[in-house]
Amino acid sequence: MSSTNSPTMSLPKLSDPDTASAMFEAVRSVAENSFFAVAEPGDERAFAAQAAQVPAWLVATVRFEQGPLNGSVACTMPLTLARNLFDAFAGRDPSDPEPGQELVHDLVGEFSNMVCGAWLTRVASTRTFTLHRPSVAPTLAPRQNGGPRLLAVIDDVPVAVEVHLTADPQSETSPA
Amino acid sequence: MRILIVDDSAMMRAMIKRVIKLADVPVDDILEATNGAEGLELLKQHDVHLLLTDINMPVMNGADMLREIALNDRWRNLNRVIISTDGSTVRREEAEQLDVRCYLEKPFSPEVLRDVLNQLADNEFAETE
Repeated sequence: MSSTNSPTMSLPKLSDPDTASAMFEAVRSVAENSFFAVAEPGDERAFAAQAAQVPAWLVATVRFEQGPLNGSVACTMPLTLARNLFDAFAGRDPSDPEPGQELVHDLVGEFSNMVCGAWLTRVASTRTFTLHRPSVAPTLAPRQNGGPRLLAVIDDVPVAVEVHLTADPQSETSPA
Repeated sequence: MRILIVDDSAMMRAMIKRVIKLADVPVDDILEATNGAEGLELLKQHDVHLLLTDINMPVMNGADMLREIALNDRWRNLNRVIISTDGSTVRREEAEQLDVRCYLEKPFSPEVLRDVLNQLADNEFAETE
């Protein structure tokens, strides 16, 4: 699915099946190509059961904008998965010293940055978005703002992806 | 060959450096910058053969840096490669106009970057022979 160059176009929401499918493909592509990890679709029930066992999470949020269109993509993953992805990405040997928090946060931020960019390329390939530097923070549990979210399982570990669109599609029916 | 990596992610710079070391290219030096402004400063100070740059960065983005480079005749022989999450057709078309030799879309596998580096190195030596 792609939008046109029209300034009046909005981004599709994650509740749209094609949009959710594009987001999963973005997650799968990032996991497999850059982290040598296997991504599978997740569901709410399995996610809730697995998430209850996870003591520490990281959430990385990437803001994107293009004219009146702006929003954010937030990836939430267990700290243990972040460390495993770090090892895969950096080629770290288990006998090497543990990476510091700053580098692990940078890694999770880059993961979210790639997911956000890959998703936007899939749903709006004719548009050029500005992606801001990811903000990364620890959290005790995945947040849920009530909207739809994409759940995935990466190397048997649950991951949640949320998209927040700031612009109201109804207000974009006429150019500024 | 001196290579300049411009990316605001320390992890991405480290990953690119690792792939460069695994590739079959003669590298004398690898320089790093966290944004386009730092990249331009390093380009002014050093004779760089290959530039690998991200697009979305704070302070000065990669597209603005490449526009500055295109305006300066000193850098006409600089090999330019974009490594970015931005895979839009608009950005790719702009890259062509800015003499970018290769547009690598994140995520990419290390093998893809290694092949690009080997190809650019082969071309570099073919042109100097």
